Amino acid sequence: MFDLLNPGTWFPRAAPQLRANKDFFASFDQGRPLSEYTFVVCDTELTGLNKKKDELISIGAVTIRDLQIDLSSMFHNFIKPENMDPTQATLVHRITPQQLEAAEPIDVVLPRFVEYIQGSLLVGHHLPLDMHFLNKATARVMGGTLSNPGVDTMRMAQGYKRVQLGHYHEHNPREISYSLDDLGREYNLPQFKPHDALEDALQTAYLFLYLIKKFRKGGLVTLKDIFQSGRVGSFRY
Amino acid sequence: MAPSDDVHNVAPEMAIAFFRSILPFNSLDDATLNDLAHHCRVDFYPKGTRILKQGETDITHLYLIQRGGVKAFIEDDQGDVTLKDFRGVGAYIGALGIIRGTPANLNIETVEDTFCFLLPREIFLRLVEQEPSFAHYYLKSFSEKIVTTAYNELRHHKVSNRSGDDLYLFSVRVGDLVKTLRKVSSGSSIQEAAASMAEHRVGSLLVYDPADEENIVGIITDRDLRSKVVAAGLDYNLPVENIMTGPVQTVLSQSLCFDVLLKMMTTSIHHLAVERGGRVIGVVTSHDIMLLQGHSPYYLFKEIRGQQQISGLYVLAQKIPDVIRGLIKEGAKAGNITQMIAILNDHILERMLTLLEKELGPPPVPYCWLLMGSEGRREQTFKTDQDNAILYADPVNDEEKLAAENYFKGFAEKAIGHLVNCGYPLCPGFIMATNPRWCQPLSVWKDYFSKWIDAPDPAELLNATIFFDFRSGFGDSSLARDLRNHLNAKAKEKDIFLFHLARQCMATRVPLSFFKNFIVNKDGEHKNRLDIKGQGLTPFVNFARVLALKNGISETNTLARLKALYDADFINREIWSSANDAYELQMQQRLIHQLSQIEEGVLPDNHINPEQLSDLDKRMLKDAFTIIERLYSVLDKMYPVA
Repeated sequence: MFDLLNPGTWFPRAAPQLRANKDFFASFDQGRPLSEYTFVVCDTELTGLNKKKDELISIGAVTIRDLQIDLSSMFHNFIKPENMDPTQATLVHRITPQQLEAAEPIDVVLPRFVEYIQGSLLVGHHLPLDMHFLNKATARVMGGTLSNPGVDTMRMAQGYKRVQLGHYHEHNPREISYSLDDLGREYNLPQFKPHDALEDALQTAYLFLYLIKKFRKGGLVTLKDIFQSGRVGSFRY
Repeated sequence: MAPSDDVHNVAPEMAIAFFRSILPFNSLDDATLNDLAHHCRVDFYPKGTRILKQGETDITHLYLIQRGGVKAFIEDDQGDVTLKDFRGVGAYIGALGIIRGTPANLNIETVEDTFCFLLPREIFLRLVEQEPSFAHYYLKSFSEKIVTTAYNELRHHKVSNRSGDDLYLFSVRVGDLVKTLRKVSSGSSIQEAAASMAEHRVGSLLVYDPADEENIVGIITDRDLRSKVVAAGLDYNLPVENIMTGPVQTVLSQSLCFDVLLKMMTTSIHHLAVERGGRVIGVVTSHDIMLLQGHSPYYLFKEIRGQQQISGLYVLAQKIPDVIRGLIKEGAKAGNITQMIAILNDHILERMLTLLEKELGPPPVPYCWLLMGSEGRREQTFKTDQDNAILYADPVNDEEKLAAENYFKGFAEKAIGHLVNCGYPLCPGFIMATNPRWCQPLSVWKDYFSKWIDAPDPAELLNATIFFDFRSGFGDSSLARDLRNHLNAKAKEKDIFLFHLARQCMATRVPLSFFKNFIVNKDGEHKNRLDIKGQGLTPFVNFARVLALKNGISETNTLARLKALYDADFINREIWSSANDAYELQMQQRLIHQLSQIEEGVLPDNHINPEQLSDLDKRMLKDAFTIIERLYSVLDKMYPVA
């Protein structure tokens, strides 16, 4: 339900933004009410899904404060890829080669993003994948990795489904689709355009609000509660 | 964390698209919308969340519903809940409270999982001040305010149980109508004054003494410009004091609109200055009042009561739909509206029969004009057939008997004719006082009911149900009470009668044919239409009637019966509140449907086309229908088929 991602190895050459972030989360209290945390819901677009080869081409993110999506601070940047023919990017994404050509490089965009998420918990749909590419990039251009704890909405949705289904064991939650689109439809959330980092981040933010508030009705009030709700089935909501 | 603006200044497209799709935001330019979207937050409220609490919540944001729906309701001092309204996608919550600077005037609770955009109150207020379209749109809040006042009055009215004589509905104070004070110095030129009137789009200006701005010395109106300046060829550069009317007639801000209107009518002065604490705070015109009060029930009520000719009532009765239309448009609730229709119809009847008695001389024996069916239940809408009867005291001898028969025969004929002229059509089933069968002394009426109850013939019972909802419409109500007591005493002990009534009620099954997820008629004239009366409302009416008769409850109104049943613990709170809400919702749908038919010039009916309902309406109606099955299961347990 809730990943405390490894802060990673600390390198002496880590950028000041990363060090500040690490210091912040070193003394992080998980026991406060959920509404007191700031969450950043993010999504990344990639040149492909090859973990070794592919690179980030856009980052979209939106902030949640007081458990409300704050439309005043959103983050959306295209990134000019280093080793890729930009014409291929048009296949899935709504990004034109011209946009990528005109975009800033990763070593300009990434520090901004790290500042943007300073002190926030990261939220994403299938977050480990995004984290993999983000950390790969921060290690390379900023000399360290992100210390922000993360929440994966896909795993939250699985947990929520188990609670919903309760004792009906004939339903196997694994057979249900947990794609962002399908969950959005199932929960009747407003729909966003897929395959755009910002729109996907917003879609994920809606899903996160939905799940966290539905869970909250079941008495999950602190971050720890959400963490522990990984052991679902033992409580009623 | 010091984000640079260019990075974060991403336009939240979905928010902008949303604003573009709703009133009055669609009139704003792109730059303004972009700015607004940046100040918004999005929140999610699971179904059943109380967003605002009446009289308590300070409203910090305007809520705009992006997905889902809410219900608005009022809870009075005694815990009575009155459903006011359902709001769906695109609707707003909290505007009135922000504009008036008061806490929430309604309870708002989500009836579905709901996402809202939250716009900070300061930004909303700025829009209202700066954007003419906003000011105009939310000006509607004036009429909402009136409805709130009306509700307060109604609640008050209910608690203190006053008679119709003190119908304080729409007792709006004139101070509530006053708009921004516009004034001009008496030394200003006529042209300056006219320019100011044009700029502020007002028809009048108050004129003050240049030495003391608080000292209002006169008033100028459009009419003065027309007749004293243009028509007379007066120099535009002369000071306005040449054409003003002074001193200004004033009224106190706490005066009732009705009284102000009277003052205008008697003095023929249509612009009055409104004074509060010795200061003039603005102007009120007859137009302002007529706009809000022209079709007010109170106004009509006074007219009816003052009518000296029966033929004068014809016109007044035809005005009732206009009054009702006004109430619906202002957002009044179905329960209150039908009660209002009943009150107005009752007053027409009362005045008409009073005048008729004067014409024909006093009756030989006391009598009571009975109202049956929906009139008896005070549930009339726009379509109100006559269902009436005469009940008179038992004559003491043959001579009196003959006199009574003759008198009431003539009396009924005239009365029914007048009612037709007032616009109440004849009853197709001939349940009217002109039918000798339904113009009878008390003992005969008692026998009718005894027969229905003692030896119930299911076929006959079906036609007789509307008689069980009788009430006194005019005359000696103790006769009706006597008959009701007789009925209550008999019905309570007769299980076989109640059994038939209950089974008959359950025979009105919700048909299982679906049209786009909706229960509709499969064929005939009203194919694919939903019969909101027969399929939706009647089961509630029948349910309430059976249980009221079973438990000796004298109320005839369905909502009142349900309430009485709950108060006496014959049904539980859950059944009561869900039946109450479901019934009221359907009544509202029916009224709105009939109102739109009247506006289209079609004869109102009860057949709703589900395709014309919003998603939220559909869902609400469907929920309402599911309640029917629950009511039936209650009846089924009480009166099982052996």
